[in-house]
Amino acid sequence: MSKLWKEFSKGLWKDLPPFKVVLGLCPVLAVTKTADNGFGMGLAVIFVLTMSNVLVSIFRKIIPPKVRIACFIVIAASLVVSVELLMQAFAYPLYQQLGIFVPLIVVNCIILGRAEAFASKNPILLSAVDGLGMGIGFTISLTLLGGIRELFGYGTLFGTRIMPEHYKPFSFMVEAPGAFVCLGLMLSAMNIFTSWQARRKGQAVLDNPGHECRSCGICSR
Amino acid sequence: MKPLSGSPVFTVSVPPHAHCGRTFKQDALGTIIALLPAAAFAVWHYQMPAVRVLALSCFTAVLTETICLYFMKREIEADNYTALLYGLLFGFLIPPAAPWWLVVAGSFISIFMGRMIFGGQGTNPLCVPLVGWAVLTVSWPDLMDFDMTMLASELTYPLSQLKNFGPETLDEYPIKSLLLGFQLGGTGAVQTGAIVLGGIYMLARKIIRPDIPFAFIAGVAATAAIFYFIDPFEYASPEYHLLCGATLFGAFFLATDGPSSPTGHTPMLIYGFIGGVLLVIIRIYGMYPDGVPFAILLANLMTPLIDKIKPGPFGGITSIHVRSRS
Repeated sequence: MSKLWKEFSKGLWKDLPPFKVVLGLCPVLAVTKTADNGFGMGLAVIFVLTMSNVLVSIFRKIIPPKVRIACFIVIAASLVVSVELLMQAFAYPLYQQLGIFVPLIVVNCIILGRAEAFASKNPILLSAVDGLGMGIGFTISLTLLGGIRELFGYGTLFGTRIMPEHYKPFSFMVEAPGAFVCLGLMLSAMNIFTSWQARRKGQAVLDNPGHECRSCGICSR
Repeated sequence: MKPLSGSPVFTVSVPPHAHCGRTFKQDALGTIIALLPAAAFAVWHYQMPAVRVLALSCFTAVLTETICLYFMKREIEADNYTALLYGLLFGFLIPPAAPWWLVVAGSFISIFMGRMIFGGQGTNPLCVPLVGWAVLTVSWPDLMDFDMTMLASELTYPLSQLKNFGPETLDEYPIKSLLLGFQLGGTGAVQTGAIVLGGIYMLARKIIRPDIPFAFIAGVAATAAIFYFIDPFEYASPEYHLLCGATLFGAFFLATDGPSSPTGHTPMLIYGFIGGVLLVIIRIYGMYPDGVPFAILLANLMTPLIDKIKPGPFGGITSIHVRSRS
């Protein structure tokens, strides 16, 4: 049981896909204009990731090692097509919002990364739990990023107006550069938090290079 | 063995050991002095709103720098006038009628996202005030539009006139009135004559090298002349491209920003020329009336590439060595 929990929880913080291992950045940057979009994309990824992990784990003994990447992609692609069809049937507005990024889940490096690094070496139950944890971590990150961008860029959260009436939307956040800036700020915030945590536990922390005047030597102060 | 008191002690430090006495503080102060005539012209044209924008922008910039340095646990050196200079430059770019929160937000973003995030003094890859300007222009285009915000003013914005009504409208702007700043635009950026005075002062004091401004102006003039030669009734003449909008301000003050521009003569010339060419292309084909900030931002992004043009180190490996080794 504790092993299952360990595999599940590493996707939530230790190996959090977009922020800790910085994988799957394409949807992180592209579909997080609103919290809704991020959440929907995350759900699709949870489904594909868990199922592909299970399938890869089932077939791990019979997949020839030399063509394993192609096999993983075939498995992921079939799952993504089924997700796409399901979305068209039951969540068409979301499908229109996400557009090309639903088919692009196939080449999302989290799917391939978990299949290669975990599912192809571990039994079915562990792989399923691993995929579920990673997917949930991914969904939380996307929803959080989408929520921040939506809150400042449109003044709303999940479509409800949060900001006061005279708030002028900071549209930079929902444009493409806003995604990069927001992701960078969140990564730096995570780094600050991690080093603060390490310092509290008394572990060694990587410090920034020195900024004394003599390390530069340009001016004559 | 302990050194005896009074015996000579050798201090070991890293080179360079000889300095010419130039400091950031002096250079920034010189640039601010060079900007003062333009600021005075801005106050003459726009009265109190200009004072308000410039003061608020400078204050926010210095305050942001101080707070950032405090949280970075570094020596608080916000008194070396560089933050003040960037605040002033940012205030020069935005319309005098901008609401206070716009000025504060832009000045904060300039210093925080354009400068302190990369490590403070001397590390900014992009010209600092332009970062804030670009973020504001993407976010609130209606509040950064000179025509929309300055409806009460009698002056007009020549570049939007040029964009909307063609080059014959430029006949309303004699060169002398353009030099005196009788045109709408950024608070201080369009005080062309005063900007030229400041530029000459900076060149004379050797705060900036002449390469970048002159290459920038040459790029603007050459590209505009080519378009003017193709069709004089469709495109404005080179002198209007030089004197309207923030062209000369960009050439003397923004493109020459130290950390974001190349070093070395040839790279500087290439960099300035690229900026000038991009400026005219953005003005003619782009959706924004004035292309100065975006042209300089794009040229800034090319700086690391252009900086690869440099003389080889003395005694370093050359092609002869490589050939003989293989």
